[in-house]
Amino acid sequence: MDGSLDFEFEDPLLSSPVVTKKRKKVIGLDDLLSDYYKEKSKLVERESIQEKAKKAYNSDDDVNTKEASLSEVIDQCQNQMKEISGEEDMSMWGMRVFGNQKVPPPLAFPGLGSCALLQFFMKNELNSLFELDSDKGDLFLEGLLANGWLSKLAFICGHVEKSMAVWTFNLMLYSSKEELRTSACDFWCAILSSKDEPVLIDWLPSYLELKGALEIYGFEYKFSFNRDSLPAGSNCGGPPQNIRSWVRFVAACSHVRNKLSILSTSEAEELVEVIIFLFLDHQLHGLAVLLYECMQSLISYFTEKEWKNSCNKIAKSLACRVPRDLNCLRAVECISGYDTCSKQLRSSVAYQILLVCFDNKATDEEEIMRLLIAINVKEKGCDLFKMYIYLVLAENWLLVNQMLEHKPVINEMWGLYLRNCSCQISSTDLRSFASKVRNKASYLLQGTVTK
Amino acid sequence: MENSIGRGGIEENILAILDASETKETRDANDDRIAFLEAVRAASIVPESGIPPTNKMCAAVFRILRVGKSLELIMPSFQLLNELDKRYPRLYLSSSDRSKSSSSAPLELVLVKEAWLPFVADLGTSSSEKEVADKNLGGPFDSSGFHLLIQDLAKVARDANFKTLDTKSLGSMLVFQYLLNVLEGDMLPRKSGETMNWTLLRESLLNMVLISLQGSRKLNYKVLVRDCLTVMCGLYQIQSTFSNDPTYLETSVVKPSDNCDPAVAVALPEIGNNTCIAMQKLLTLIMELDMSKKEADMQGYTTRADGVRTPLIELILDELTYNDEILCPFLQVFNDPKWKLEIILQYIWKYTSKPPVRTRRSNGSTDDATLSGALKCFSSTTSTKSIIKKIGIEVIQLLLAHAFKAHLFLSSGKCPALGDPDSKEDVRDNPLVEICENMISAFNSLRRVDENMEVLSFGKEALFTAATILSTMS
Repeated sequence: MDGSLDFEFEDPLLSSPVVTKKRKKVIGLDDLLSDYYKEKSKLVERESIQEKAKKAYNSDDDVNTKEASLSEVIDQCQNQMKEISGEEDMSMWGMRVFGNQKVPPPLAFPGLGSCALLQFFMKNELNSLFELDSDKGDLFLEGLLANGWLSKLAFICGHVEKSMAVWTFNLMLYSSKEELRTSACDFWCAILSSKDEPVLIDWLPSYLELKGALEIYGFEYKFSFNRDSLPAGSNCGGPPQNIRSWVRFVAACSHVRNKLSILSTSEAEELVEVIIFLFLDHQLHGLAVLLYECMQSLISYFTEKEWKNSCNKIAKSLACRVPRDLNCLRAVECISGYDTCSKQLRSSVAYQILLVCFDNKATDEEEIMRLLIAINVKEKGCDLFKMYIYLVLAENWLLVNQMLEHKPVINEMWGLYLRNCSCQISSTDLRSFASKVRNKASYLLQGTVTK
Repeated sequence: MENSIGRGGIEENILAILDASETKETRDANDDRIAFLEAVRAASIVPESGIPPTNKMCAAVFRILRVGKSLELIMPSFQLLNELDKRYPRLYLSSSDRSKSSSSAPLELVLVKEAWLPFVADLGTSSSEKEVADKNLGGPFDSSGFHLLIQDLAKVARDANFKTLDTKSLGSMLVFQYLLNVLEGDMLPRKSGETMNWTLLRESLLNMVLISLQGSRKLNYKVLVRDCLTVMCGLYQIQSTFSNDPTYLETSVVKPSDNCDPAVAVALPEIGNNTCIAMQKLLTLIMELDMSKKEADMQGYTTRADGVRTPLIELILDELTYNDEILCPFLQVFNDPKWKLEIILQYIWKYTSKPPVRTRRSNGSTDDATLSGALKCFSSTTSTKSIIKKIGIEVIQLLLAHAFKAHLFLSSGKCPALGDPDSKEDVRDNPLVEICENMISAFNSLRRVDENMEVLSFGKEALFTAATILSTMS
């Protein structure tokens, strides 16, 4: 993108309105357009006066020409705007996290009708009313599940049979019926988190099952940055509705670590990464609260001792996988908890991405600050988009964790870096992202002064 | 002092981020709004000693929630508002450090008077009818605005399928959820005292909203209640049929869809479900307030200014009685066991000739007694016959089965596990066993009266559960 927005050698009249579209704070687009039209209409007026002098009889034509020339200019402007905004796709984050879905496993569970819960009842005299047999058992159990009886029965019996556990688990992850997947998820959350009524569960899912479900949903462990996926109504793939239950279940699992061990620490680490990637998909915006809660319960899964190490591992692994555009900022910002552990994670993820951005040339904090300060923003070839990313990453690395309080050297370098960004970029700088970098830096600089 | 200077400066800086983008709908303006939300978070939420947001900042966040056009803006503003309320509550309990009394002194209610609210300040003064809603787009709500919001949601719930649902209706749902969080956050601390204190409850936001609604000539409380029920039942029905619609299934596999934004489709079950829960919260909060008011009335604490309001439970019962269509979805979706049981029992009593004598006690044990009281109405053939005549056999089944389920969720005590020998002696005393037996015999007596009776599947599930409980315990 270097130079692509460099209009210095172009007709200033044509290019300037377009460029200012992004710099409205400096000179309003409207101002420039109106200036331009003033000039233009003066010109047209002058011409028309001349023409009127020649042929005073044809004034209608005159108006038409004026209109035509005006609309031509407007069209030109609009086209140019479109072109520019096309190039600006990078100012959007968003990834297609889900590709094509695979065929889910069959939901019917052969031995279900002969589960003890039903068999027990069939001996009951009441069964004359039901005419329940092993064949119709599935349907009846679905009703019990959907209407919320099943969890109550589990508490009363203090026991969930294997067939029941597997069956409900699969419904939760793969059923296409909202009613069933939600109630199956409710059922699992209830039996996992029951406090005063301990329930013996004969079968527990493992991480493999959770991971397998993600693969069937089309979740791609290797991500592709897909700009086409951004407009609404895009086709092919996309998350299935079951992802909601999946997320809720993961949250419930990590809550009950002290009772049931479903996840290992390394699996929980992977899940944190998955949740962060789910945040990168625009299609999942509506689940933001759910994802946030899931992330919080995953983070609280770790003991204090484990966290130091795990936090680092997650950050390093993420840094290698996140694209180094606005997506990486989103990945940092979606870690929005305000407990110490979340802040640590946010800070380390930002730091690790920053290291990767500089191809791991820096090995410690001072070195990375030195690299940042060495960037000359006045230089024409300086990539201000990258600069913007560095700036936000550094902000998150340094400010979220109150790291600066203990490191005066870094603090000083940070101040210098901010001054570089805010003072050396002039307010009339028309390069892409110049105003963004400048505004951000001066905002942060004011923050350091008020402190 | 230092804090307040810092706060002003920060407010200015943070609000400056929004400056240029007040009304625009460009990508840049949206970026600015997101940057603004992040900045408020960074200043007020993230640091341990964060700076409370100023009223202008809160109002700006709320505006973004109300007028935001994309989920990308609506969701974080919704989250941020809730976080701010949690972090800086307007009303909270604190141990009174100023008081000289001993450490066991009761907690003191602290009201931060200057704190921002999504409701207008003069809610209580119902006399002044203002047309705020249109003029003040994105601003705080007054009671008529609140009514309008619920009306909008009812409209969505009434004729929407998920094709017509858009980001705007999701936004309204989130606004409603937030308002409910505020109303609840304002109510809970007032109720935390050991004894009910009507003076505190009278000043609650919810009571002010209700008084203002009552005082208004334009607004009709009854209509509002009907709309509330429509929202709750309608949204529930949209969702339960959601996935089964073939057009959606197709879009989820390959077909491009013009009318169904995938982000909205993914968001709807989550946000819709939470809206149902919020609506249920509104209804239970009002019913509890009604109950407290009645109690205060009896003790002579209310004044003329408190006005007269038909208790919500009566209005709900009217709706359920005269609008058959919503009875079933209402029972399905409304799952606060205590109030559900109460509503069902009152419904049954409306039709039984001799309402059982109830002794009012505030603890939960009365509920046990009353359900078995209701079940006893079915012990004789004649009384069963007369109830069937009045209520209809299907409705009776639904009522009994739902009441039984609510009862199960209320009786939290763990039942002895299968084959636990020690507990066998107590079985006869267990009220749950009695309820289960009466439940089964009530259904049997229904069948005796009407031989062609078809047992509804929900009824079967209830009977199955009752029978399983019995065999587990014997």
